[in-house]
Amino acid sequence: MSDASTLPRAGGAGVTRRLGEALASRRLLPTLLLMPVLVFFLIWNTIPTLWLLGLSFYRYSLTSGRPPIFAGTYNFISLLEDSEVWFGLSRTFLFVICAVGIETLLGLLLGLLFWNSQRLPGRRLALTLLFSPMVLTPVAAGTFWKLIYDPTFGILNNVLHGLGLGRIDFLGNAHIAFAAVLAVDVWMWTPFMVLMTLAALASVPKAELEAAAIDRLGFFQRLRLVILHHGKFILMLGILLRTIDCFKTMDLIYDMTFGGPGNTTELIALTLYRRAFQVFNMGWSSSLAVVLLLISIAFTATFIFVLHSRDRNAPAGGDAP
Amino acid sequence: MSWRTHAYHALLWLIVLVFFAPVGWIILCSFKTQAQILAVPPLLVFRPTLENYVHVLSEPSIVLGLVNSLVLSISSVVIAVGVSFLAAFSFSRFKPRGTDFLMFLLLSIRMLPGSAAILPVYLMYVAFGWKDSYPAMILFYAMFSIPFSVWILKGFIDGVSTRFDETGLVSGAGWLGIMTRLIFPQVLPGIVAALIFNFIFVWNEFLFDYVIGGPATANIPTVLATGLYKGGSTDWTFVSTLTTIYIIPPVVIVYVFQRYLLVGMTFGTVRGEV
Repeated sequence: MSDASTLPRAGGAGVTRRLGEALASRRLLPTLLLMPVLVFFLIWNTIPTLWLLGLSFYRYSLTSGRPPIFAGTYNFISLLEDSEVWFGLSRTFLFVICAVGIETLLGLLLGLLFWNSQRLPGRRLALTLLFSPMVLTPVAAGTFWKLIYDPTFGILNNVLHGLGLGRIDFLGNAHIAFAAVLAVDVWMWTPFMVLMTLAALASVPKAELEAAAIDRLGFFQRLRLVILHHGKFILMLGILLRTIDCFKTMDLIYDMTFGGPGNTTELIALTLYRRAFQVFNMGWSSSLAVVLLLISIAFTATFIFVLHSRDRNAPAGGDAP
Repeated sequence: MSWRTHAYHALLWLIVLVFFAPVGWIILCSFKTQAQILAVPPLLVFRPTLENYVHVLSEPSIVLGLVNSLVLSISSVVIAVGVSFLAAFSFSRFKPRGTDFLMFLLLSIRMLPGSAAILPVYLMYVAFGWKDSYPAMILFYAMFSIPFSVWILKGFIDGVSTRFDETGLVSGAGWLGIMTRLIFPQVLPGIVAALIFNFIFVWNEFLFDYVIGGPATANIPTVLATGLYKGGSTDWTFVSTLTTIYIIPPVVIVYVFQRYLLVGMTFGTVRGEV
């Protein structure tokens, strides 16, 4: 905490001060401080987004060499009729539901296990190792899991073989590939839900836990009435962040399966990538990007709604720094 | 300690090692030859070799990739956190009209799937001839890092009581003085968290670099994704060695700055330690 000793000395930096006062008195300062971010926002977001919106109404392919042709809602209609888009979207939602569901349950379970880990020897190292999958470059993770999953050389298949089970071509088998990719996502991001569970548990007041213990509440009653009651906001934020992030999954599958075998692991971000950067059908891709933008805005709105509902319910904040 | 505590601690370490095992396997493979990596059954005991590291680090394109990764992530994050601090201060203290809306828009940028976010930027960069240039990449990554930085820093500045501002004003400091000498030292943890977590995001980012970058600005994820195949088969020594080198900075960050992990992974919306 700062005290009076960090206050600016009178007379020091007088020029700065006068400038500051001048700015404040003209009410320029708030805008001026925002300017750099606004400029960034304008050049790298507003202009590209308008460009995208505009282009979504044009037929435009980079490979044809022809200028864009206005096509009205043609792209959006062809989007609706495109089975690949529907397939990609439904695959993505299935992926998100399965991945986030498993990660949340597993994260809750492990988080509860780690609750009393304060005296674990080497706790800091243990948590670092536990969180290491999260900070591994997704492309590298996807690539290396190909080796782990490999039917001949992969360690997983050799373990299965050693146990007397048959070898499985995890990423080459159309029935298994989706689950195999899902498993990698669960491995990478369950630690995140562990982190969120620990944060949620830390926000539960000790006094209420003690009261629950005195009242001899069972474990599940304690979980429901005390822990979830206090921790639900942080958990909700965690689930939402994971949902949004999972919806974006692309780097992970880029090298691991690139949507294959067939199109069983084709997530929507990859569908867009193919059409935009392999086929260079920019008009059509723009309209798909607009649809994804709308979905993201809906996610963001939900996230902020939950965030504000927490602030309304707990103004003091159990998770204050 | 009772045997129950020991068993409990052993169980926790077991869970940790299960999650760490694939990363550990990558690291182990980086000390093997290609033949040892592809041995059936996989080798747990072998003569470690440092040859892969010598080989990888003497490859000019890989060294360039490492330099690019460092330059792109550090410079963009420093720019982003700098401008975000100013904006967050303005949002927190002056609450200009449209604050909530702008905060919302900023967040929604980060919620968009990468291929949708990069598509219009790609078109713009192609039209302006900005592809594969350092400044264009750095500024794009700075934009990519701003939403998170503004969110995290606004949260921290909101947490500093306005009484400090009042004290400052009374003792004759201007707003700039208050911002730099009163608020800045108190939100230093937020600055650190914003710096290191944006660093990790940019460090690990692949798609943007791959799409709007090029040979001169390829970072290591791009090198990894595009340089895998030599003569039809994957060079696993290259993958494992480069991945091992590349995961060191983020892991060190997680270890050293563990208390910022929570705030760093949640856009600053959840604070506390684990």
